[in-house]
Amino acid sequence: MLKRVSLVLVALTLLVIAGCSKAPEVEMQAAQAGLDAAKTAEAQDYAPDAYRTASDTLNAAMAAKQEQDSKFALFRSYGKSKEMFVRAKALADNAATQAAQEKERVKQEVTNLITQAQAAIDSAAAALKKAPKGKGNKAEIELINNDLVDVQASFTEAQNDFNAGKYKVAQAKVEAVMQKANSIINEIAMAAAKKAGK
Amino acid sequence: MRKFIIGLGILLVVTAAIVILFVGAPNPPVVSLERAKQMLNKAEKAGALRYSSEMYRSAEDLIKIGWMEMARQNGRLAPFRNYKTADSLLTLAYQKGEDAAERAEQTIQNLQATVQGERNQLYDELLEWRESLNGTLAKNDGEAYWNRAELAYKTSEKLMNTGEYEEARSKIILGKESLRRLGKIVAEYSNDEAQKLHIWGRWVEETLEHSRATGSYALIVDKGKHKTYLVLGGRLKMTFNCDLGYNPSTQKLFAGDGATPEGKYYVTAVKNNGASKYYRALLINYPNATDRQRFAESKARGIISKRSRIGGLIEIHGEGGRDRDWTEGCVALSNRDMDRLMQFVSIGTPVTIVRRANNWP
Repeated sequence: MLKRVSLVLVALTLLVIAGCSKAPEVEMQAAQAGLDAAKTAEAQDYAPDAYRTASDTLNAAMAAKQEQDSKFALFRSYGKSKEMFVRAKALADNAATQAAQEKERVKQEVTNLITQAQAAIDSAAAALKKAPKGKGNKAEIELINNDLVDVQASFTEAQNDFNAGKYKVAQAKVEAVMQKANSIINEIAMAAAKKAGK
Repeated sequence: MRKFIIGLGILLVVTAAIVILFVGAPNPPVVSLERAKQMLNKAEKAGALRYSSEMYRSAEDLIKIGWMEMARQNGRLAPFRNYKTADSLLTLAYQKGEDAAERAEQTIQNLQATVQGERNQLYDELLEWRESLNGTLAKNDGEAYWNRAELAYKTSEKLMNTGEYEEARSKIILGKESLRRLGKIVAEYSNDEAQKLHIWGRWVEETLEHSRATGSYALIVDKGKHKTYLVLGGRLKMTFNCDLGYNPSTQKLFAGDGATPEGKYYVTAVKNNGASKYYRALLINYPNATDRQRFAESKARGIISKRSRIGGLIEIHGEGGRDRDWTEGCVALSNRDMDRLMQFVSIGTPVTIVRRANNWP
């Protein structure tokens, strides 16, 4: 009789142990760290859809884990939540990668604009240097020189925004700078023509 | 019989257990969860992360808490499940998300309206100043400020188009500041003009009186109106348009300042075609004694550099009619007008140059 009771107790203990499957803490922490990294990589700005998918998957995984946590130990099974945490981590990594790529793309786009703007400013400065000066266009040349100083200041401001990672702001400012630099080149040509024609 | 009853009992217990465990359990608030998530998504797209971030974060947290509560209830035995708290939390999350979206939309709308209003105001001011500048001799001094304001205005447009309203606003403020400085320059110029108006009026009166008394010709140049008047016997005989020095708004102080002198002069030489670089010319006696005194005082007071020279060779010459002030300080008429003028003017003819002749002619 005692032997039978012992066997039942052993069987029950084994069942309880089997039922108490381990919670996927490591996977959960990895997924949370992945999402934090994506956030740091500004995925909410540069890859919002990918970030949202990763965040939703992480929340769903946590809910799945919570559901199992609430169950009687014998019936717990963390297989599904573990799998979801792993997926959430992969999605978070993907969001971070996408954000980095998009940020780099925008950065490159603004870098190209900055290069073009610098070229336009250089052209304007060179044209101003070459412009025939003297009686007839002195005032215009002086004024254009002032404008060029302002354009250069605006350009420096845009570069500072760029260096601070404010790419959209930098882009808008650089576009305005380019427009003005090009109009200065035209003004110089007109001033030179006036001088030539007296 | 006994075994049958025991078996039946076990069957009934198992069936009852199944019914209790899986039937009659309340439904989890999945719909509320999905609605809350969709609203949060909408809020994010509306710009809530930037413009109503606190509300957004609050909605986000409520979704998480509600979701966890729902999961906790899911884990319980059916008879013990209660989703009321989860549902309330998710409903609250939906409302918070909705509020966040509305707040963001409203903030953006307000910002757009405010910044656009300020831009329109700056644009109007730019137009007004353009007109004012075109009609003033202080144009060159103010032009740089006007251009700076215009650049700020154009940059603000680009910033607005990318949704950077605060940055756009700071540019508009910069533009307004430039126009304020422009206003200061023009005001200083106007004050200076108001103070000297009676002096110029007296010069004009004296010139007319001399012409009347001697029955001779005299020239009066009104810089403000860009006109050169030929007077005979105190009466206006002819009017000519003229261009001035590229810095027309001030009294001439030294060589190279681009200003046309203001004072009472007379013709010292008549240069016909070939003798002048600018078709035909009338040389005047700048600098006169008053100019020399002013030059010396300005040097002594440090207003101008010690190395400055007073300059000279101020003429009324041809090659004018360009509709802009371009000379180094001379008065330029069109060649045709020079031909007409030269018929009446000779050495000794008085030439009075004023910034504004007030009520004459």
